[in-house]
Formats: sequence, structure tokens, C-alpha cells
Amino acid sequence: MNTSSLSLYVVDDDEAVRQSLGMLFLSRGYAVQVFESGEAFLEANCQQQYGCVILDLRLDGISGLQIFDQLRAQNSALVVLFLSGHGDIQLAVDAVKNGAMGWLEKPCSEVLLLKKVELALVQAGKNMQWKVEKKKATSLWERLTPREKEISRLVAVGKSSKGIAKELSNIEYRTVETHRARVFSKLGLINSNELDRFLRTYDF
Amino acid sequence: MRNFISVLTRFSNSPPTRRDALWATLLIFVVITVYVSGNWSATFALKGQVESIQHSISINALGLLSNAEKFSSLPYTASLHPDVLSILKDDKNQSGKQAVNEYLESINAQAGSDAMYLMNVDGLTIAASNWNSGQTFVGRNYANRPYFIDALRGKPSVFYGIGQTTGIPGLFLATPVIANRVVIGVVVIKVSLRDVEDAWAGLTAPIMVSDAKGIFFLGSVPQWKFLAKEALSEEGLQWMSRHKQYGDRKEFTQIPWVVERLEGGSIYIIHTALEGTPHRYLAIDHLIPELGWTLTVMADYHVVIWARMVAWILGALIAGLLVFSILYWRLREKRFLEQSTARQELELRVIDRTQELREAHAFQQAMGDSLVVGMRARDLQGRIIYVNTAMCEITGYSADTLIGCLPPYPYWHQDDLARHWIDNANAMSGQSALTGFESRIKHRDGHDVLTMVYTAALVDATGKHKGWMSSVVDITEQKKTEAKQRLHDTQLQHTGRLASMGEMVSTLAHELNQPLMALCNFASAANAFAKQGNNALLVESLGEITVQAQRSADIVKRVHGFVRPVTLGIEICQLNTVVSSVLAILKSEMKLQHTQIRSNLLENLPFVKGDYVLLEQVVVNLIMNGMQAMQHLPCEQRVIEVATLCCDEMVCIKVKDNGIGIAPNIAASLFEPFFTTKRDGLGLGLNICRTIVESHKGLLTFEDQKPAGTIFTLKLNRLI
Repeated sequence: MNTSSLSLYVVDDDEAVRQSLGMLFLSRGYAVQVFESGEAFLEANCQQQYGCVILDLRLDGISGLQIFDQLRAQNSALVVLFLSGHGDIQLAVDAVKNGAMGWLEKPCSEVLLLKKVELALVQAGKNMQWKVEKKKATSLWERLTPREKEISRLVAVGKSSKGIAKELSNIEYRTVETHRARVFSKLGLINSNELDRFLRTYDF
Repeated sequence: MRNFISVLTRFSNSPPTRRDALWATLLIFVVITVYVSGNWSATFALKGQVESIQHSISINALGLLSNAEKFSSLPYTASLHPDVLSILKDDKNQSGKQAVNEYLESINAQAGSDAMYLMNVDGLTIAASNWNSGQTFVGRNYANRPYFIDALRGKPSVFYGIGQTTGIPGLFLATPVIANRVVIGVVVIKVSLRDVEDAWAGLTAPIMVSDAKGIFFLGSVPQWKFLAKEALSEEGLQWMSRHKQYGDRKEFTQIPWVVERLEGGSIYIIHTALEGTPHRYLAIDHLIPELGWTLTVMADYHVVIWARMVAWILGALIAGLLVFSILYWRLREKRFLEQSTARQELELRVIDRTQELREAHAFQQAMGDSLVVGMRARDLQGRIIYVNTAMCEITGYSADTLIGCLPPYPYWHQDDLARHWIDNANAMSGQSALTGFESRIKHRDGHDVLTMVYTAALVDATGKHKGWMSSVVDITEQKKTEAKQRLHDTQLQHTGRLASMGEMVSTLAHELNQPLMALCNFASAANAFAKQGNNALLVESLGEITVQAQRSADIVKRVHGFVRPVTLGIEICQLNTVVSSVLAILKSEMKLQHTQIRSNLLENLPFVKGDYVLLEQVVVNLIMNGMQAMQHLPCEQRVIEVATLCCDEMVCIKVKDNGIGIAPNIAASLFEPFFTTKRDGLGLGLNICRTIVESHKGLLTFEDQKPAGTIFTLKLNRLI
């Protein structure tokens, strides 16, 4: 996966920590943006971007946890890493349980830091890919008529056209066959197994 | 009597009640009863009067009738006399006339009538009993008189009138003289009714007789004679002038009566006046048919009125008496009830009081025995008159031994005798302090007991000062504890300070993590930039490394400063520096607690003498307390203000929070060791702070802040 299209965001109110992290990531060739507060980060409107956010747990103004909650609420694909100071471990652990990628205790070794960031970016790449595929699948799915959607769900669970015609009662066997053919053609699929996987994967 | 009036007043003033309605009904009943009894009495009296009238009527009617009838046979007898018949037949018979004259004279004299005379059919008198008197009727013609006219028709007649010749009233009884069924003459006898009238004159109530025309001609009241019941008609008047019944009288005016008919009609009341005096008479008319007269008999109506009045008065008096009797009876009942209630209450109260006294005594006894405080009462001479159980236990002596003792008491400490005498003298003169005094006594078994003695005057129920009551508290244990406490305090301060330092070091370590993290990152970046040959960024990173290293060093220095050994009072300190350094130390703690800090430091603040580290510790403690007091507030409201200022000869640091404040009930114990409101607090912070401040000869005070929060003020003497 090419990670170059992904961004790194650093939110920390200690200027030294913020600048040093920026410098570190810059030196490793990452695209990095730094913010001195949660408000500044949210204002920059990066929520729908793809990448990784490194959040300090303790911030003036809204806290790292609050930013995390907002991202989750907006269904953001950004991967979150927390930076925790002395005594905040429990908060960080809780955040991870709630879906954060991980945490780093200050101070931490550069090796660990970079490794975690790398992993996070891989996850971010997956997120991005998933988003793209999902979008594509959705546009295909939306081309189906409601009747076709209905029939495709029945086809996916392995029902024969006869069975479908019987179940829907007001429809002819031949018509089912027509719909079925049109579904496969529109979604670019070959058989009912693929249709089943398609529906499960994208949760239609 | 006053009670009576009050009862009456109460009736008149109070709003209407059921009882008042009862009284009103009773009143109406009494009034009706009195009224009815009056009327009944009046009716009764009326009945009596009517009876007496009827009695009088029967007597007088009979009298009148007998008076008339007594003489009625005489004319008839005379009419049968042969001489009478002969002279009527032969007008010339002079001797016969004389004989008749004499005959009539003798009968008249014998009968006692006024006159007797004989008329021929022309009405001419031909013989009379008064033939030889000056006013003889002989030769006079009475043809106009009704009795003559009636007799001429052949029937006897009766007539009352005034004599035409004599002018004297009288009753004329005339009988026809009949020969061969032809009336040839009329014999008349005139009878005076003066005797009757004379008899009536003595009566109290008038009796009157009226004729068929309603004219009163006879009666006991002369003024009413010849007055008519109703004015005579023209025809009646002509009849009167023709027949001259009552002489030459031309007018017969109406009698001055106002008549009021009673029920039934035959009885009536006459309102009239006699000789200027108004009178009321009860009257009944009685017709005497034989004579054609009406007898009007009266009785005094005032008797009836009086009877009613008397009945009313008597009734009212009896009713009044009855009402007063009821009122009196009720009053008496009420008073009796009150008295009996009062007596019962008194008895109950006596019982209650006795019970109360017994209970109070038992209560007092129990109280005295249960007290851990010794109680000792003495009279004015100092003789013990009472001790409780606790007092006996404190001293080890029994109550029997102690009671009656005079100073020196057996429990006085041999080594403190002089002191005991002084205390005793003070107590006996009422000069011992209200706060009490300490006194060491010796227990009977020989060990020392430290006591606190409080004395107050013993005053009896009449207010008389009878002696002194002392309470004696055993404070031996307390004293021991206090001594132990003092020993511990110094150790505790040390422990507390160490604990406080531990916290501080932890905070500082955290603070140190930030530059260390930055250092790490910059170093790693520098490494990378060096490999990449990116010199500009390499230099920048290295510069940052220097800055962060310096920052770390500063932090370490502060930690070092905080934990170095105590050097009390040897430095000249600037309190602004103390505050700044504390704020730097607490910066990360502030962030953790989301607390804002506002400092307001006075420029050119005078110096003080003290120990930087200890003073910093005090300020750290105060700020930490403030932060903890604001934990319940939303983050944006957590504000601590720190100010330095100079007042009088003192230099102050004020630490202000807007937290929960200090409840009044804990304010007093705030500075005590081991006092804490925090769940995991040691309770040493403020105690140590105060110790430190006091060792600097300063003051540490606190006050409530409006609307919420607390201000702690540290004051130190300025250095001159």
C-alpha cells in the first residue's frame, strides 16, 4: 500500500513536543500537520481525510478524548494514537478499548513511536481502500431497482428462481429470471456466491 | 348582681345562638301568657259586671213595673164606682161631682199617688183628688195627652210625662170608664217616680230609663234627662209639641255618648264625660214591654280595665320573677360547676405536682449518680452538704465520710495545700473564674488526680444564697493524652512534609517528561536529517535539543531546590519569586486538573525573612487545596487567583479559589493535625502550613469568599 497519500496530524499543546514530533516525522518523509489545540484541529476540517492523528490526552480546551469521540461520531476514517503523560495510562487504555489504534507514553523511544505510526498508517491505508471500495459498491448497488434488490437478496441466500417466484407469489418465473440476469449484469458478478459475498462485505 | 348584669350583657352582645333562640321563645311565650291571662281576667271581670248589671236590671225592672202596676188597678176600680158613672152620664149632677171629688181624694191619699182624676170623653176633667187645691185639675182639658187618647180607645194606658198643670213629672195610668160597651170617660192616676229616682241617686253607676222614642226621662244622672239616644225627627218633634209629654220642651238633643258595641250586641261600652271627668261604662239595655220603656243599666267599665291591668302587672311580675329565678338558678348551677371543676383540677394538679416532684427527685438522684462529673455542694462555711457518686469515685472517699467535712478536705494534696487554701478562699468569696481552675488532689489510695473545678453559687427557691455548687472533672487522662500528642506532633510534621515532597517530586517528574520526549524526537529527527544531508533542518533540530535540555535542567533544579535541607530564616526572600516558582512547579498539575491560574503580583514588594523552600511548600499546599475544592466545578470555572500585596507592616500572599468553601462546623478544626475532608488525605497539609508560617512569626488565616470559595492569606513581617 502506498502511504504517501496519507497524512499525519499531531495535536499537542506543549510546543516542544509538538514541534519535535513534526520535525521527526518530517525527517522520515511523512506529510505532517501540527495543531496546538483540539479546536484548531477540528477547525482544519481534516475529519474526512485519511491518515493518523496523534492526540495528547491532556490539552488545554477540549481534551484528546473529546476529539476522539467527535471523530467517531463523524464516522471519520482517521486512525487515532494517544500520547499519554505520567498517570494517564488508564485513560489511554480505555480509549484503545473504544477503538483507538494505540497509545504512546511520554517519553518514548523513537523506534517504538515510528513503528506504531507505521502500523497506524497501514491501518489508515486499509481504511481508505475500504472506503473507496465501499463507495464503488454502493454506486453499483444503487443502480438496482427496489425489485432487483429484493430478488438479489433472495438469490444470495441460494434460492432458485422457481422458489423466488413462489415466495413472491405475484411474479412469474420468467420475470424472476430476467431480474436475476439484470442484477448480475449491473453488479458485474458471475454467480450467487459472489453476490452473497458482495452483500455481506458491504452490508447491503 | 354584677353577675346578673354580666349574664344579661352577654345575652345582648353575643351573636344569636340556639340558647338565645330559646330565650326569645320563652319571652314570647311569657308575653303571650301574660296577655292572655290579662284578657281572661278582663273577661272574667266583664262577666261579673254583666252579671251585676243583669241583677240590677231584674231588680229595677221589677221595681219600675211594680211601681206602675201597684196603682194600675186603682183607676179601674174607680171607673166602676156608681158616682163616677153617674156624673159622666149626668153632667149637671153637682153633688155627685163633689162625692166623686172626695172619693178620689180619699183613694189618692190612701194609695200615696200624686193625683187621681176623671175626664169625660172631651178630655175635660170633671173630678179630681186635688179638687180643692190651688192647682186643681178640675175644669182642665187634657184631650191632647196620649194616655187619654189611648184610654178613649177602650184600653188602659201608661204614660210618663211632665204634668201640664203642675209641671211635675209623673206616671200617668189611665183606664177607660165603660158603660154599655161605650167609653164614657177616663180615670187617670198620676204616680210620682221620685222615690225610684231618689233610690238610684246613691248608685255609683248610672241607671237610665228611656221611652219608646229613645228619650231618657228617668235616671240617676239628671244631666242626661230629656236627651235622646238619637236626635228626634221632625215628626217626633211635632208629636212632642202636640202632646206636651215633657212639657214645653222643644229640643231633645242627642245624649253625649260614644257607644262601642261588644261582641254579641246586647252589651256595649259607653265613653262619656260626667262633670268634666271621662267615664267608661258597661251598659245593657232592657226593654220593659208592659211599659214600653227601655231600662239602661250601667256598670263601671274601669273595673274590667283594672282587672286586666292588674292581671298583666301580676303576670309580668311573676314572669319577671320566673326569669330571674331561672337566671339565678343557672348562675348558681354554673358557679357550682365551676367550683367543682376548679376543685377537681386542683386535686389533679396536686396529684400531678406530687408525682412531678417525686419524678424530679428521682431524676435528680439518677442524674447525680450517672454523672461522670463529680458534684460537690457546700454551705457558706465550706461544709460539704452533698456529693454524688462520681465525686466519691474521683476522691476514693465515701459520701458519709465527705459530707459534713470542713476544709482542709481529706483529698487535698499534701504538696499543694497552700494552693488549695487559696482556691478555696476564692471559691468561697465567689471569685473563682467561670472557666474553672485546675486542681491536683490525692485519691484515697494515694495516686494523684488532676481535676478541673467549676464553682457556681447555690441559690435556693426563695433566691437566698445558701452555698456553692462545684463540678469536678477528672482530667488526668486528658492531660496524659495532651502530653503524648505534643510528643507526636513534631514527628508528624516531619512525616507530612516528606509526604508532601513525594507528591511534589511526582508532579515535577511528570513535568520533566515533556522536554525529554521532545529531546528524543529532535535527536531522532537530527539523526535522520544528518543522514539525508538536510543541514538546515539538522541545525534547527540540534538547536531545539539544546533548548529542551536547558528546560529539563531548569525543572531538575526546581526539584533539587524543593528537596534540599531546611535552612529556616537565613535568607532574604522575595514572595513574588516564591509564587512564580510555585506556579512553574504546578503548571502541569494545573493542566491535569483543568484549572486556570491568575496571578496578580505587586511590583516592588518588600522583602521578608524566611525559608524559600518552606514558603513554597506552604503556597503549593494552599493552591493544591484550592484545586481540590473546585473539582466539582466544570473545567472552565476552575480558577485560582494568587496575589501578593503589602498591608501595613506585613507582606501578604492571598490564594483565592471559587470552590466549595469551608463549612462553619469544620472551620474551627481546619488547622488541626489529621483533620481532612479528602478521602485519601493525610490531614497534615494545613497543619504543617500553619506550623511553618508560625515559625516565620507570620499568620495564616482564611475567610469565606462570596459567592463561593475561600481566601487563604499568608502574612509575614516585612523586612525593614
